[in-house]
Amino acid sequence: MKPFHTRIAAASAALLGSLLVAGCGGGGATADTTPQVNITSVKVFGDSIQDSGTFGFKFTVQSPDNLIYAERVAASYGKTLCPYFAATGATTFAVNTATAGCTNYAIGGGRITHTSVAPTNPLNIGAQMATFAAAGSFTAADLVIIDGGGNDAADLVGAYLNIPRDSAAAYRGLLGTLLTPTQIGTGLAGGATGTAGLGATYMTALADKFYASIKANVLDKGATHVVVLNIPDITFTPRFQMVLDSIAAANGGGTAGATARATAQATFQGWMTAYNTQLAAKLGADERVALVDFYKAFQDQVATPAQFGISNVTTPACPIAGVGGDGLPTYNFPTCTATALSAAPPAGVTGADWWKSYAFSDGFHPTPYGHQLTQQLIAKSLATKGWL
Amino acid sequence: MTSKILLGAATSLAALLATGGALAQSAGSTVVYGGAAQISPQVESGDLTAPSLAGTKVDVKKATSFVGGITYYWTDNISIDLPIAAPFKHDVVGAGAIEGVGKLGTVKSLPITLLAQYRFGEASSAFRPFIGAGPTYAYFFKPRATAVLSGITGGTPNNPTTLSMKRRLGVTMEVGAAYNVTKDWSASLAVTKTFIKTTGSLSTGQTIETTLDPVSIKFGIGYRF
Repeated sequence: MKPFHTRIAAASAALLGSLLVAGCGGGGATADTTPQVNITSVKVFGDSIQDSGTFGFKFTVQSPDNLIYAERVAASYGKTLCPYFAATGATTFAVNTATAGCTNYAIGGGRITHTSVAPTNPLNIGAQMATFAAAGSFTAADLVIIDGGGNDAADLVGAYLNIPRDSAAAYRGLLGTLLTPTQIGTGLAGGATGTAGLGATYMTALADKFYASIKANVLDKGATHVVVLNIPDITFTPRFQMVLDSIAAANGGGTAGATARATAQATFQGWMTAYNTQLAAKLGADERVALVDFYKAFQDQVATPAQFGISNVTTPACPIAGVGGDGLPTYNFPTCTATALSAAPPAGVTGADWWKSYAFSDGFHPTPYGHQLTQQLIAKSLATKGWL
Repeated sequence: MTSKILLGAATSLAALLATGGALAQSAGSTVVYGGAAQISPQVESGDLTAPSLAGTKVDVKKATSFVGGITYYWTDNISIDLPIAAPFKHDVVGAGAIEGVGKLGTVKSLPITLLAQYRFGEASSAFRPFIGAGPTYAYFFKPRATAVLSGITGGTPNNPTTLSMKRRLGVTMEVGAAYNVTKDWSASLAVTKTFIKTTGSLSTGQTIETTLDPVSIKFGIGYRF
């Protein structure tokens, strides 16, 4: 028995030892970044936050390695993006001939309804989709990323706030693109509540219009992996915070001002919620669509910036370039480079990387880190769908 | 998070192995056994530290592997059990705020356990229940992250987010029974609970405290030398 014991003990020790050694040898952390779905092309339709450089710059801090979220999502599938359109003027576009085969159709200033250009102008996001749909169709290996409505909501807010100055001319005009004269007349006759209520009716109709575009040009054209972002709560952008602050000031500040500010914000949020609710009703149950709740995610970032690694959610990182016709600051993206920002930290902030934890580049657009957070949000939706 | 899972799995495995060794034998006997074990971590996840979605948690899935081991009978009633297992491979999945995203990675665990056991009944009894307790060192290795982990943490294929789990020491408790089929051959079944925590880390800097506390079931066939 004793020799047996000795041998067994030795064998056991050897086995245990070999397992430990095997374990030690393979302790390195690795990653298999192969997505669950093979995506061979990423097609993008939308506005400035998805624009890869139609105007020669991106609507964020400029740097070769500063990817916008659509580009970050594409990178998850090993793909890069470039602008399909090249601007030939402020509102005129041609196909980008400098780089062929580009699939990012998004253009800064893009709207679901752009009132100052023809409906076929690709500043209308539906027209971007129609441009692609006219030339081809989608496959199961296409990932489509669509956003829209943020600029439309901003237009609506602007027109609404201008009612005292233009007798509701701009508001009527914008509403008239989707609502009937009877609807508008009834609403405007209904006092403050009726007037504000038109905004929600308009935003609901806007969601219907966008859904119809997406259905006709994307879903009915064979796309099976479609990411659609709803409207983020733009009342929390620095630009609209200033607008709300001016509403408070115009109402005398103090408690009265604060009440007016809160009422206005709630009205605008109600409009965006009307759009988002209708978009969810139309697209939320579609197996082919990952509807991303950008609205709530952005509110969360504003409410708990530290949780998201954001050091400043109120001040744009880019320097103010001037003052616009609306009295709000303007910014110049082409000169707002990573190098320039790193070289000039604002007072009270140190380190070249200061802007990398800011949420906003200008008053309305995210920093590259803001883009990363949105990409992470989209990735969560993609993963939940089993597409990542 | 992955590390925590692995640790739990390893602990459970060790416990299972220890159980498998339970055979009604007398002082001086050495029993070598082999079988299988399933480790089921009972995960209680903390929240991933910022930057992250608030309430980001993980779960560690159960894993099964082959186990073997050696039991030495110090006396007729007191035995020492050293289980030796093949590594367990656990899936680490999203939970809490990221519930539904699926697999964040896999991590292998190798629980190393040494159990002191008390066996009831006579050495000659056919059926002998036993209890045991001892330390477990959960060794986690080969963590492998997925595209999902990279995606939700801002990583890219060129710079993917990876994960790791800290190796930790825990305590294992065991309840089991052995049945002596013949003088030399026996079968045993044991359930163990290991109390162990670990810390998962991401290459992006966040960490997550996770209680694994795995429950393991181990079955083994043993032979007395």
